[in-house]
Amino acid sequence: MTCVSIKEVSKSYQKQKVLDKISLSLKKGELATLLGQSGCGKSTLLRSVAGLTEIDEGSIYLEEKEITSLPPREREVGMVFQSYALFPNMNVFENVAFGLKMRKMDRVKERVSDMLELVGLTGKENAYPHELSGGQQQRVALARSLVMQPRVLLLDEPLSALDAKIRKNLQNEIKRIQKELNITAIFVTHDQEEAMTISDTIHIMQEGKIVQSGTPAEIYTTPQNPFVARFIGNYNVISMQDFYQLVGNHSLRGNEMAIRPEMIQICDGSDCDGEEVDEWIAGGTIAQVFMTGNVLRYEIDTSVAVIRVDELHAGNRVRIPGEEVRLRFPRSACLVY
Amino acid sequence: MKKGMIWHKSVVTLLILYLLIPLVGTFLFSVAVEWDSSILPESLTLQWYHELFQDPRFYDALNRTLFIIAMTVALSLAIMIPTIFLVVVYFPEWERFLQGLAMLPYGIPPIIGAVGLLKIYSSGNLSLVGTPWILIGAYFVIIMPFMYQGIRNSLRTVNAIELIQTAELLGATRRKAFIKVILPNILPGVIVSILLSFAMLFGEFTLANLLVGGRYETIQIYLYQKFEKSGHLTSAIVITYYLIILLLTWGVFKITHARNLSIFISQKLKGIGRIIASAILRRSYTVHVREGKR
Repeated sequence: MTCVSIKEVSKSYQKQKVLDKISLSLKKGELATLLGQSGCGKSTLLRSVAGLTEIDEGSIYLEEKEITSLPPREREVGMVFQSYALFPNMNVFENVAFGLKMRKMDRVKERVSDMLELVGLTGKENAYPHELSGGQQQRVALARSLVMQPRVLLLDEPLSALDAKIRKNLQNEIKRIQKELNITAIFVTHDQEEAMTISDTIHIMQEGKIVQSGTPAEIYTTPQNPFVARFIGNYNVISMQDFYQLVGNHSLRGNEMAIRPEMIQICDGSDCDGEEVDEWIAGGTIAQVFMTGNVLRYEIDTSVAVIRVDELHAGNRVRIPGEEVRLRFPRSACLVY
Repeated sequence: MKKGMIWHKSVVTLLILYLLIPLVGTFLFSVAVEWDSSILPESLTLQWYHELFQDPRFYDALNRTLFIIAMTVALSLAIMIPTIFLVVVYFPEWERFLQGLAMLPYGIPPIIGAVGLLKIYSSGNLSLVGTPWILIGAYFVIIMPFMYQGIRNSLRTVNAIELIQTAELLGATRRKAFIKVILPNILPGVIVSILLSFAMLFGEFTLANLLVGGRYETIQIYLYQKFEKSGHLTSAIVITYYLIILLLTWGVFKITHARNLSIFISQKLKGIGRIIASAILRRSYTVHVREGKR
């Protein structure tokens, strides 16, 4: 069942198009992520669903009811901001109970307690926002939105202000809570790793348009254009002319080719003696080595282009800059545009 | 002690002395019987304070000043808070215009402003010169920059736009969101603006003298007139005036450092309530004794 339906939505600021005929739909209980660089229009789209930004064209439906011209308080959507937007004059209980009181709902105490238990903040009812950590504040903001049982939960870069460890924990928490309550959610982020971890569906945005939609696996393995390839997977994107020069073979047809860093193999010695039918081999020199923990990232200078290669750091030798290496490009891993 | 530290401490000490000497001198003069030919007063007295606090004109002048300031600040709050809030949250494109308007009084020297007001309001249907209303109007303009900056900064500090949007998304109307969320959070900043305006208007003389003068004697005019009668009495007025300002500053300090304003305000209101209650009791006791003597 479709829960959120966005149809041909456009928005311009001073003649600059921020949203360009965007359409997307979400099923009940789905967590969709709007992923893109700063200024691509993802937050504007989210705010349009919330009613905080007026759209120029198009329509927005929530469970088949058109909400395009409804004021925010009548839309029954919940929103969590990057800055938490907790009410500083109210303690945790009062913050979470605010919406329930505004809508004159019953069992306020019980509902607030249940929600605080769900987000792991039992015992913090009397604390004021300034007495809580960033992660705790964001949990309160989440509880405050969820307690209203919104038809869709909107999360506008909610984890951007948190440090890496808390961020990872909260990603898992949000996912758990969203599944537990079977709530439909739209999550905005510019962090592709976060999008991969948390989403059921990812919509990649570029200059006010959705350029690709799909599951995290689909997006990662089959990016539909070089922009998505560069943005989502840190792909090596090379012009076909450069690639011909690099491998000395003209069998691929297209303008550009892309390959993921972990699909290229570094080989030395007898491993690289012969070239198979379904692969190409090229030579290069290690320019830089980045140690990211479980992955070793090499930047290899091939005289045509700098190629990034990721190797699992599983006890193998760490190569040093200046070392001559051979690179194996499997044909099946090369995407052509 | 390091050489640099001695230099720093000397500068600070000199500055403190420079600021305190006139104040200490004024205080000593206000408690001196005579102080003409010696370094320190020959003998001390509270006679000038006694005389000041016995003078009904002093209380009348103080009441008038408090009335004018309270009316000005109330009018300013009633107009400025909703205006700035609406501009900051809903019409940000108007903010530059409002800022320019609010800063305008800085560019007009009080004496020029006063002459202009005298020309317009001294005759005709709107003859307001000599009434407190013209002073309230002029003071409203004078404190506009303080009120504007204080309120706008508070709105920015609390991130008013996101707070109001959150409250609306949670089901609050704009009016309720303003009253329940915005107003309590900008209150500390607004109170600081009020106290700053209060302190500034308390010492304003030019406009008071030119626009109302002796026809509506405020504390500034009273001070000016007593100046010709006795320097000791004037010093006592100045010290009293400073004490009031000191109390206001203490108020500002306490409020800006109060973490939980609502608790702070409720405590202070209880305190003020106790003071008012004891003042009423004392006054009724004095009246009772006075009537008994008659």
